[in-house]
Amino acid sequence: MLPKAGEVSLNGQQTPREASHYRLASTREGSPAPRPDVPGWTRFGKQAEEAGIESLLVSFSRYEPDPILVSAALGQTTTKLKFIAAYRSGLMKPTTFVQQINTVSAFMPGRLALNIVAGSSTAEQRGYGDYLAHDERYARAEEFLEVCHLFWRGDGDVDFEGKYYRVEQGKLHTPLFADEHPSPEIYISGHSTQAEQLAVSKGTCLLRVADTVENLKAAVASVRGKGIEVCLRMCVICRPTRAEAIEVAESLLPQDDMGQYERSVAVKNDSQMYREASEVEDKWLSPLLWKGFVRYYGPVWTTLVGSFEDVAGALLEYKEIGVTQFIMSGWPELDEVKTFGSEVLPRVRRAEARL
Amino acid sequence: MSLRFHWMLPKGGEVGMKTAQETSRVLTTKTTSKASLPDMEGWLRFSRCAEEVGIESVLMSFSRYEPDTLVIASALGQVTKKLKFIVAYRTGFMQPTTFVQQVNTLSGLIDGRVALNIVAGSSTAEQRGYGDFLDHDERYARADEFLEICHAFWRSNGEVVFKGGYFQVESGQLSTPFIAPDRKAPEIYVSGHSAQAERLAQRQGSAWLRLIDTPENLVPLVERNREQRIEMCLRLCVICRPTSEGALDAARALLPEKDIERQERNILNSSDSQTLKQALAKADEVGWMNDNLWAGLVPYYGSSAITLVGTPAELARAFLDYKAIGITQFIISGWPKLEEMLIFGREVIPVVRRAETSCKSC
Repeated sequence: MLPKAGEVSLNGQQTPREASHYRLASTREGSPAPRPDVPGWTRFGKQAEEAGIESLLVSFSRYEPDPILVSAALGQTTTKLKFIAAYRSGLMKPTTFVQQINTVSAFMPGRLALNIVAGSSTAEQRGYGDYLAHDERYARAEEFLEVCHLFWRGDGDVDFEGKYYRVEQGKLHTPLFADEHPSPEIYISGHSTQAEQLAVSKGTCLLRVADTVENLKAAVASVRGKGIEVCLRMCVICRPTRAEAIEVAESLLPQDDMGQYERSVAVKNDSQMYREASEVEDKWLSPLLWKGFVRYYGPVWTTLVGSFEDVAGALLEYKEIGVTQFIMSGWPELDEVKTFGSEVLPRVRRAEARL
Repeated sequence: MSLRFHWMLPKGGEVGMKTAQETSRVLTTKTTSKASLPDMEGWLRFSRCAEEVGIESVLMSFSRYEPDTLVIASALGQVTKKLKFIVAYRTGFMQPTTFVQQVNTLSGLIDGRVALNIVAGSSTAEQRGYGDFLDHDERYARADEFLEICHAFWRSNGEVVFKGGYFQVESGQLSTPFIAPDRKAPEIYVSGHSAQAERLAQRQGSAWLRLIDTPENLVPLVERNREQRIEMCLRLCVICRPTSEGALDAARALLPEKDIERQERNILNSSDSQTLKQALAKADEVGWMNDNLWAGLVPYYGSSAITLVGTPAELARAFLDYKAIGITQFIISGWPKLEEMLIFGREVIPVVRRAETSCKSC
C-alpha cells in the first residue's frame, strides 16, 4: 500500500504509534496527506522495489490526491515497481478513463494495474455527484468495465448501449502499453456477492480483507474455480519474536477519542465490508490474525501479528488454500516494508523453493 | 503588462517530423500516426526550448487521437521547471468533483504550473464516442454548471452543494487544494466562437480564447469582454523569415496535396463547431485578411491555421497592434514545430519586449 502523502517524509523519528496515528489523522484538516509527496513516495517506492515488493496500491478517496496522476508521476521516478491505481467506476466516462489509463501506461509499460471499487459511503459518493444505491453501483461498474474491455480489445469502433452508459463509434488511438496482456490486471474489491460477481465477470482478481484460513477456504476455492485470483488486504506487524510483535500491536490501540471518531465514520458506511467490520468483537481471529484495530478504523486494519517465522508461515498457509497475492501495510511504513522484505519474504521464497 | 506568449505543444512525433504536411490533421488522426503516442523525448526537447526562449505555457490539445492531457502534463511537469501547461479538457466526460481532484493533484505535482482550456465539446461524432449525446447548446449549458461546481470547490469555503440540470453534488469535499505559489484556482481559457462560448468565458473563465482576426474586427469583441474583466487570448500560427518574400515563400511551400485538402474540408464541414465554420469561410472568401494575416492554410491544416506571415519587425508590429486594442495573450504554433518557435522566440519576442519597455503605455 502506498503510504499517505507526508507519511514517509516524517519517517525516522517515528514510533509505530506515531506512524499509525498519522494515518488515522489523514482525513482531518491540517494533515499533509492531501498534498502530493513525490519525494517521500519515491523513497518508499525504491525501498519497496529493493524489498521485493511487486506493486503499490494507490488509494482513492476525497481526502487524497488523484491516484491515476499520482501513479503517472511515480511511474517515472521508479523502474520496476507496478502501481495498482484505485478508482471508483461512477466518476468518469469509461472512454475517458481508458484514455487516461492508456496514457499513464505509456510512461510505465506493463506496470499499471487497476483496483476498481464500485463505490464508498453514500455521503462520499454524493460529494462526487453519484446518487446510485449500493447494488446499482455494481450494475453500473459492470457496464463501465464492459466498455473499458471493448476499448482494450481494440477490434474496431466501440458501440455500447446499456442502462448507465451509451457509446457510439468510440475510438481511442492511444493504446494500452502492457507486456503481454491486452488489458491491465483488474482487482475488484468488496465483500458483497455483487463484488465477487463483478470480479469474476470483469476482473482478474478478487481483493478482500484477510480472514482466517478456515473462514476463507471455501470462498477462495470457489473464486479460484471461476478462473480468477484472490488477493488479501491486511496489515502486518512482524518482529523477531511474537511477544515483541504483540507488544507493538497493543501499543497501537487508539486512545478513546480518536477511536470513537473513526468508528463513527465506519458505521455510517453502507459498504458490506465496513458493516461486517464494525460487528467484530473478538480481537484475535487466530493466533496470528488480530482484529484489534478493526472496530475502530475499519476492515483493512486486520493485522497479521507475529515473528518473522510466524508471518511467513501464515502467508504459506494462505497460499495452500489458493490465495496468490497480498496487499499489505504497516507502521512506520518504511521500516515495516524493509523488515518484511529482509526477514519474511526470504523465508517464504525458501519454503516455496522447497515445495 | 507584457504580452503573454504561449505555444501549442506539438503532437506526439511532430517534433521529429520533417514536413509540415505530416502534421496535418488528416494524417495525425490516422491510427498509424505517432500522434497517439506520448513522445517524452520530443516534448522534453520542445519544452526546454520553450522555457529558454521565453514562452510561458504550452497548450495541450484534447482529442480521441491523442494521449490524455492531464496525464501528459503531470509527466512533462516533472521534468520541466518554469513552463506552464494549459490543459485542454472537455466538460462532459467526468464529474466536476473528480475533475477538480485531478486538476488539484496535478497542481501539487508540478508546483501549480497548470491552467485549463475548457472546451464544451467537439464534433458530435467524437462526443458520442465519449458517451456524450448532448447537442451544441446543451453542452454549453452543462459546461456552465460544470465550471460553477469547480469554482465552488476552488473557493473552498465549506462543503459544496449544487443542484442543476446536469450535475448534482451534495456535501462535496476534497482535501487536496489547488496548490500554486500565487493562485487558489487555475486560470481558465474558454474557447469557441459561438455566443455561448463567449458567455461561458465571461461567466466562468479568466480568458476567452478564439482564433485570430484583424485588429479592426476584434475591437468590439475585446471591448465588451474587457468590461467583464475577461482577457482575450488569440490562437494563431506564425511564419517568420528575415524578408517578407522569404516568409511568403515559406507560407506557400506549406500548401500540401489536393487530397489532404479534400479530406480536411470534409472534417471542417462535418463539424457543428462555429469556430471551424467561420475559419473556413474566411479562407474561402478572403484569403489574405490584411497585409500579414493569411487564412490560406485553413483548408489544409484546420481552423487554427490562420497565420501571421512576415519579418520579425512586421510580426512584432502586428503583436503590438493587438496589444494596443487590448489583447493580452497569444497561443501560437508554426511549421516546423520546433524551429518556428525558436525563430519566434529569438527574433520576435525580443523586439516586442524592447518596444514594451520603451513605451510604457503600449
